[in-house]
Amino acid sequence: MTKAQSLWNQGVKIGAIGGVSVLIISLIGMVESFGKRDIIAGVLPMGVAIALIISILAAYMAAKKTPISDKSIQFANAVVSGLVISGFLAAFVMIGRSFNIREMLVGASPVLYSILTGGVAGAGGIFLLLLTGLLCGAFAGILYMLRDLPRRLTVNALLTIFILGLLQELILPILKAWDVGMINYLAGLFYTLNGLTPVGAILSVVIFCILYLLWNANQGAIKSKYAALPKEARKKSQIAALIVLAVILIVLPQFLGLFLSEVITIVGLYVLLGLGLNIVVGYAGLLDLGYVAFFAIGSYVVALLTSPQIFAFGLNFWQALPIAVICGILAGVMLGIPVLKMRGDYLAIATLGFGEIIRILVLSDFLRPWLGGAQGIGSIPNPNLFGFQMVKPQHIYYLLLAGIILVIFISLRLKKSKIGRAWMAMREDEDVAQAMGINLVATKLLAFATGAGFSALSGAIFASKIGSVYPHSFNVFISINVVCIVIIGGIGSLPGIVVGAAVLMGLPELLREFAEYRMFVYGVALVIVMLLRPEGLLPEARHKMEFHDETEAGAKTVA
Amino acid sequence: MILLSIQEMTKRFGGLVALNELNINVKEKSIHSIIGPNGAGKTTFFNCLTGFYRPEEGEVMFNGQSIVGLSPDRIVHKGISRTYQNIRLFPNLTALENVMVGYHVHLKSGFFGPILGLKKTRMEEEKARQIAFDLLKYVKMEGKEDTLAKNFPYGEQRRLEMARALASQPKLLLLDEPTAGMNPKETQDMMDFIQHMRGELGITIILIEHQMRVVMNISDIVTVFDYGKMIAEGLPEEIKNNKTVIEAYLGTGEAAEAH
Repeated sequence: MTKAQSLWNQGVKIGAIGGVSVLIISLIGMVESFGKRDIIAGVLPMGVAIALIISILAAYMAAKKTPISDKSIQFANAVVSGLVISGFLAAFVMIGRSFNIREMLVGASPVLYSILTGGVAGAGGIFLLLLTGLLCGAFAGILYMLRDLPRRLTVNALLTIFILGLLQELILPILKAWDVGMINYLAGLFYTLNGLTPVGAILSVVIFCILYLLWNANQGAIKSKYAALPKEARKKSQIAALIVLAVILIVLPQFLGLFLSEVITIVGLYVLLGLGLNIVVGYAGLLDLGYVAFFAIGSYVVALLTSPQIFAFGLNFWQALPIAVICGILAGVMLGIPVLKMRGDYLAIATLGFGEIIRILVLSDFLRPWLGGAQGIGSIPNPNLFGFQMVKPQHIYYLLLAGIILVIFISLRLKKSKIGRAWMAMREDEDVAQAMGINLVATKLLAFATGAGFSALSGAIFASKIGSVYPHSFNVFISINVVCIVIIGGIGSLPGIVVGAAVLMGLPELLREFAEYRMFVYGVALVIVMLLRPEGLLPEARHKMEFHDETEAGAKTVA
Repeated sequence: MILLSIQEMTKRFGGLVALNELNINVKEKSIHSIIGPNGAGKTTFFNCLTGFYRPEEGEVMFNGQSIVGLSPDRIVHKGISRTYQNIRLFPNLTALENVMVGYHVHLKSGFFGPILGLKKTRMEEEKARQIAFDLLKYVKMEGKEDTLAKNFPYGEQRRLEMARALASQPKLLLLDEPTAGMNPKETQDMMDFIQHMRGELGITIILIEHQMRVVMNISDIVTVFDYGKMIAEGLPEEIKNNKTVIEAYLGTGEAAEAH
């Protein structure tokens, strides 16, 4: 291979990867279905925005991976990869228009072609597509050559537009809830019913740039000022921050409409589940894939005890709640006993089976007289607090908030105790943990039981929120969602779980188009997180510490 | 006084007899070395004492009680603690946490104590921290309490493992090749340290060791294994000159070196 060839290798190779990626998301229908929603109204549909982001990212990587540090070659490489990507798409459009490939590839629709070619028919559209690729490449090339600050500014400004457009359904209702003339005017200035207005996009970029530059200029001063504060003052400011957070959490539902409150309760349920699984997976290192079972048990216990159907025990929610949690704990112990000797993959498989067994049992005809079979159990009353009916999602929100705070408190206390240390020791090395005097049976069962109890708590709240339970609500995907939340948020990190639940459960609710591609997006997100940030989005301090310590420890010598 | 008494202990893996009718008595506050060629059954011997293996036959009396068939965590409670040939720390826990896990057997708090923040639990926890701090100081690792165990250099990992083993406040400490991979200076430090431990803490020590210089210098008594059998036992001087040992284990070349 000659030298000239190897110079272009990266551009072509990465371009091909990017091209295939864009092609895949086009063919599975993402570009088309996301095309119905605009990031900037009338200018940039979301589907196109995603394709553009991938193209620019690929071209940027091509410039970065260029073997020699010659600016013109790097730029050219970016352009080449941009062209390769658009070339892939152009070839696809031309083939699709000449032959009928829809029988094999359902997603290859004329609408997709029209989106890809910017709505221009014939050769002009193909030309436009190639030109877009070229421009993406050129943009990425210029981006690569920029100095650090302008580059970060550009990237973050563009991301701001993307995120503002993406979160329209979160931001717009909150703004409208105020119903004040000024804010209504602002909302109208920034948003249409479908995406940002062009003016809003430009304005938000300007505002973002000003804020970013201000922060950039003063960041050092603020940080050093904070570091210079005496310890007590720092503690005070931390407490103040906590109080502000608490106030925000308490008043939040007042500003959220019905829909957003619904979304936030779903996030809350998953935060509870994530916190429970974090004990089992994060602290004790036992990979439990059947976690939904305890959620189901919590739900069904509350349903059976409070619903007038089937048994009509006539208990209220508060009486049923502790029983549900205790049943969850018992189920955790019962699952724990047979899998005591299992480790790693075997444990994951066995627990996965347990989760399915519970669902299938509930579904079975055999247990129909007691559990309601596929029809489930309905008319579960809402919780009633001192005569106040918790009907709306906003009310359930407070119930969940209380539950989450309680569970976080217990998790933190346990973590710093003898039990938490025993769990972590067991996660690190089971045999040695036992040789340190840790009773593996008790410690494992305690981890399963605690996690299961939290899960049952979440399930109990779920049942009274929905008002009815069906076996189909408790499928294996819930377990998978929770595992993803814990891993992507950051194993062992409590704030990470909240962020993970918000990102993985909240976003898809806000972007209805996502629903269909949820598992695809999770898969991609898992791979990306594992490659780029294996410690998770918001890792525990301990994991951050690992990176700091290595350099320090290297200098140490044996005394 | 005899602290540990092993009678006719046999351990088999299928057809292989790993330990064959061992009879060993370990005196209180002695440093008792176990030597032997690779595969002689030394580490298996440790695993039988700590409960990871269950010997098929024989009796092990520790401090007047039988410990055969007890699980490893029960045996720690009786007062036997160990270190490993290939260091086995809890890599992602800090030095302090590692040592505090070692102190686990002395903590009595249950599930609700820490959640409710009971005074008794808090005091117990504070005491555990203090003991862990002191032990880290004892192994010359003060100021490194919050470093993750995996980030320590080799020598410090060995010492940290020692501190963790001491945290359970054992009567008997089993050291599996504590000087493996150490240079002469580190080896000398380790020898001094082991002798200090016996002197200051009054702990009985059983030592598996390959470096003859260490064995001959610090042992009160030496037991020699070969193919799972005890082939000799005696004072270091006697072992050095024992014909069976020289033939079976040291070989002529190494015997010269040992002198």
